[in-house]
Amino acid sequence: MHIPDGFLDPYVCALTYFVSFIFLFWAWRKVKAAYPRSVVPLLAMSSAFVFAAQMLNFPIAYGTSGHLVGGAFLATLLGPHASMLSMTIVLLIQAIFFADGGIFTFGANILNMAIIGALSFYIVKLLSGSSPSQKRFIASIFAASWLSVVLGALLCGIQIGVSPIFASAGGLLVTVPAMLFWHIMIGVGEAAITTSLISQLVRIRPVILERLAILGWDIR
Amino acid sequence: MKASAKVLFAIIAGLAVLLPFASDDPDGLETVAQNADVEEPEGLWHGLMPDYSIPAIENPYFSTLASGIAGIFLVLIFTFLVGVASTRIARD
Repeated sequence: MHIPDGFLDPYVCALTYFVSFIFLFWAWRKVKAAYPRSVVPLLAMSSAFVFAAQMLNFPIAYGTSGHLVGGAFLATLLGPHASMLSMTIVLLIQAIFFADGGIFTFGANILNMAIIGALSFYIVKLLSGSSPSQKRFIASIFAASWLSVVLGALLCGIQIGVSPIFASAGGLLVTVPAMLFWHIMIGVGEAAITTSLISQLVRIRPVILERLAILGWDIR
Repeated sequence: MKASAKVLFAIIAGLAVLLPFASDDPDGLETVAQNADVEEPEGLWHGLMPDYSIPAIENPYFSTLASGIAGIFLVLIFTFLVGVASTRIARD
């Protein structure tokens, strides 16, 4: 879902940079106010994990593949604010060193993956209620991670759809349904990987449960 | 620290094992662009390790793996710095 340079209209680039940086500024302030230094190793390791996981494309259908985005994974583990910073760093390294995602489209990629990813935190909260059973917690993560990919793809479809390079192909009326079509399937992969990761982490490293409790996940 | 080293080793080992099974097919957005007859424009920036490879290494598996390991360490260093800058040592 990494948009390369040249796909987006300059106005879309500027607007998405603007919106993303407002969110990042907010995230930075929140992390600065609330996060202890002791969270840094978890922050660094989970970001490195997401970078590695994004290199592993899984086949979907009709010669198309997808890969884990990891936004819901990071948001569940780190909380929404730290997850925005974490995913933004992954996207930054990908853009600068690997040209995976453009420089001008960086703002849009932050919006579609880091900001929407962080939104999954609130969706999990909404679906799981105040003190969910482990089953309900995991089911909520499944739904939220699927939704994070589909919502990111919807935004991406809108961004490319209003950009002139996709105009001759039909613009929004083509790009939005096409992006949704593929990512409804890719999202299932995302959801399956995210839920098995979180449930395995909780099982093999119970200390993760304490971390989750700090974020307000009171799992029974 | 020791736990972090273990996790890091597991991430790299996982990448090394799963990389041969990774799909080369275009991803969702690339397929949408291809179907719309939109060519990816030649950007100004090609990155230091284009397409997750290190040009000096010929074997494609090791080229991608080495670039992936380099990327993992870059992400680690950057998040560590941002993490230290954005958090506080707990006072109480």
